[in-house]
Amino acid sequence: MNNQKAAEKTTKFTVNGQEYELSLPPTYRLVNILRDVLNLTGTKISCEVGRCGACSVIMNGKLVNSCLIMAFHIDGAEIITIEGLSKETLHPIQEAFLQAGALQCGYCTPGMVIALKSLLDENPNPMREEVQNALCGNLCRCTGYEGILRAVEILENR
Amino acid sequence: MALHINNLENRWKIRRDGEQKVTGNLKYLTDLSFPDMLYAGVLRSKHPHAVIISIDTKEAEDLPGVAAIITHKDIPGLNGFGLIIQDQPVLCKDKVRYVGDAIAAVAANSKEIAEKAITLIKVNYKILPPIIDPEEGLHASAIPLHEKGNLLHSASFKKGTSDLEDIFSSCSAVVEDVYLTPRQMHTYMETEGGVAVPEEAGKLTVYAPTQHGFKDQLQLSRILNIPKENIRVVSSPIGGSFGGKDELNIQPYISLLALKTGKPVKIHQSRRMSIKSGIKRHPMKIYMKTGADDKGKIVAHKVKIMADTGAYATLGAAVLDFAVEHSTGPYRIDHVNIEGYAVYTNNGVAGEFRGFGGNQVTFALETQMERLAEKLNMDSTVIRQKNIRKEDDLGPVEQEIVPTDGANAVLKEILKSPILLQKNKQNKREEFKVKGVGYSITMHGGGLGFGRPDPSGARLSLTKEGKLEASFGFEECGQGLITSIEMIMVDTFDCSSEDVAILIGDTSKVPHSGSSTASRATNMVWLGINKLKDTFKEKLLTLAEYYTNMDKDLLTFGKGGIWQQNKNKDRTNLVISYKELAAKCEELPLVATTYHFPTTPNAIDGGHYLYTFAGVACEVEVDLLTGRVVVTKIDHVISAGPAVNPMGYLGQIEGGASMGLGFTLMEDAVMEYGRYMTENLDSYLIPTILDIPNETQVTALEELSLGDTFGPRGVGEIGTVAVAPAIVSAIHDATNLWVTKLPIQPAEILKAVEDQLLKGMEVQYE
Repeated sequence: MNNQKAAEKTTKFTVNGQEYELSLPPTYRLVNILRDVLNLTGTKISCEVGRCGACSVIMNGKLVNSCLIMAFHIDGAEIITIEGLSKETLHPIQEAFLQAGALQCGYCTPGMVIALKSLLDENPNPMREEVQNALCGNLCRCTGYEGILRAVEILENR
Repeated sequence: MALHINNLENRWKIRRDGEQKVTGNLKYLTDLSFPDMLYAGVLRSKHPHAVIISIDTKEAEDLPGVAAIITHKDIPGLNGFGLIIQDQPVLCKDKVRYVGDAIAAVAANSKEIAEKAITLIKVNYKILPPIIDPEEGLHASAIPLHEKGNLLHSASFKKGTSDLEDIFSSCSAVVEDVYLTPRQMHTYMETEGGVAVPEEAGKLTVYAPTQHGFKDQLQLSRILNIPKENIRVVSSPIGGSFGGKDELNIQPYISLLALKTGKPVKIHQSRRMSIKSGIKRHPMKIYMKTGADDKGKIVAHKVKIMADTGAYATLGAAVLDFAVEHSTGPYRIDHVNIEGYAVYTNNGVAGEFRGFGGNQVTFALETQMERLAEKLNMDSTVIRQKNIRKEDDLGPVEQEIVPTDGANAVLKEILKSPILLQKNKQNKREEFKVKGVGYSITMHGGGLGFGRPDPSGARLSLTKEGKLEASFGFEECGQGLITSIEMIMVDTFDCSSEDVAILIGDTSKVPHSGSSTASRATNMVWLGINKLKDTFKEKLLTLAEYYTNMDKDLLTFGKGGIWQQNKNKDRTNLVISYKELAAKCEELPLVATTYHFPTTPNAIDGGHYLYTFAGVACEVEVDLLTGRVVVTKIDHVISAGPAVNPMGYLGQIEGGASMGLGFTLMEDAVMEYGRYMTENLDSYLIPTILDIPNETQVTALEELSLGDTFGPRGVGEIGTVAVAPAIVSAIHDATNLWVTKLPIQPAEILKAVEDQLLKGMEVQYE
């Protein structure tokens, strides 16, 4: 661990608008920075190889798996996590998830909501196929995804 | 009725725990951290089968930052766990039986140090050849994996004549084949984990997901050799389980290390470790021979089930019993001979998984039904109708069951599916794509079955905050139990959701209710609240009478508190709020009860009493160039009594269907020589949002037979059971291939297409 300490670098970034300046090993993963250092546990951890999407966050406007992003990547980056979506009221996506029954155990939900936000930010009226392509990196074992598609429908009808 | 968000009105209820989940604010137990917390890791076996010659932890102990290392020597109590038989070592002493077997565990100041320390532990093994096939495991020459040999359990059911061969020879059609099912993984998104926190006076709190907090408490007390009362298990919320977290997983290691170090200890298993160590669905090899007369009446049915139970018992015996019981499904057959064997091997550990052995045999049985129809040149529906159980018939193992016409009801209703009605029309062919349709039905027992203790408990109380509190020892795995409890409370007491408090998932606070398993929790909640409602109402109304000086008969429960009602039983005005009532009470009213899951009176081990039914119809599209199968449409019909919580009900069927789809088309934790060939979700594939049907329809048949007082049945499993045979039937419709091995291999489809479509049928492509 001492070796790692010697190699730590000052890393500046923002999470949900809040600025951080932390001394971090360059290869420390973003998912651990969020969960273990900043205690933002809304971002989940499940496969750690970028295949399940549970750790999805938005970095500089792009959807990323935070398990595949390291500290050296985030210097100067703007990161949005699930905790940044709702302040006083729920984000419309979150509201639609509730209405639609788009979640059960909820463990994939933060990543799923973030992935959908990333899509809708770029494409406010996606076709079903575009939604499916955008969310196919986010695994959900409970819902069979039907509720998630219902949530998208609710958002479209708004 | 069709369960659809737009036709359920106020029965479509937003999840009580939903807001915390969509905002990411909910702390799962694997999200917890405590001051001074240590991180632990577990050293798992390098080999599927080996003798341990020595374990050397010296170098690991010397690593700076390591707080404690434990091996078999450090277990104060029983070095074993298992829901029924405690044959799985907590930490192996002299032998390892699968690649997930634990040998040592380390607690350290960081995850990284714990992981490093694990690599420094030296284990000397003498490698033994692994037993990788159940049939091989039963050979006299096979090395016994346990003291009693390699047969964990055998089960049988026989009916009618003893010599079925005579009958088969007189049959107009006999179908005989061997069906193989995969080692499916639960793939809950939250891997196993939690934190054990030492408390004062040798006590311990274990925050770790499980489907049965009190069972973990019991198992841990044996291992730790401390009284159960000294262990508090906090077990909800859970990031998915599906049967996979009912058995202990990491709890013993964090508990032992917390007590040894006096500090909180956390493990959150990596997916790799979860795959290596966690339980799976039993792969089964099912020999099935079924014979019918010329009118389609099935006269004889012979089944042999070989279940690969892996290295340890867990619920392997019960899963086998369930498979044997469900081998005839909803059909009445005169001559039956079913035998099953659950055999120890060195292939991981198989145990409880949604469907509980029913999925495997239903795949085989329903495929047999279709094939008999084909041989007899009859419609499979006619055969089903000829053999299906009637309302007052006995259960599948000739036991008395609660009368139910569910089998007929789902059959009738699924035949109305637009998917099947389009069958008569020409199958539309896209270039190099063929479509097919098919359906299947099934019957599924709820609860643990005869001879298995299946008690439950419930408690209702008025809290000092003025809430009507319902308390159960059940868990919220995501299924929506919390909302179901809320809805039953609101329905029973005509109160508002805000009046209800719910307490679950903490052994220090809740009554014993048994496991949240076997589709039993919703049913048990309903029965419990119904048992208690009259005494609870009486208690509160008596108190209200005393404090308001109003005649009790004029008072009733309502939103916010106790109301006055007129002669027409209309509520006229709020008399005293629950909060005011609570404030006035010297002793807060509380009622509690214990009861048993309804059980058949006939002493047939594992035989069930309450059943649910499902019909599944689907359309598939088979790509003739790649052999890929896509399920394009699916309809479900479920008969399980009233739907308490339609959103939850729908979600269970939709989610169960997706799991069934994975079981049929893609999922298999392949093992070679006792080693997993899949290590993570990059090679173990579960359905993504691109793999689901374009159209899904779920219909709930909510009626129960006259006089059925057992209320809503659970639907946690039923949605997943009959999916595979419906897909298999649709694939046959498209390609003429009968699939007997799951998951379906595109190569097999391609070969069939080549053999049958291109040559035999001379299909012309436009």
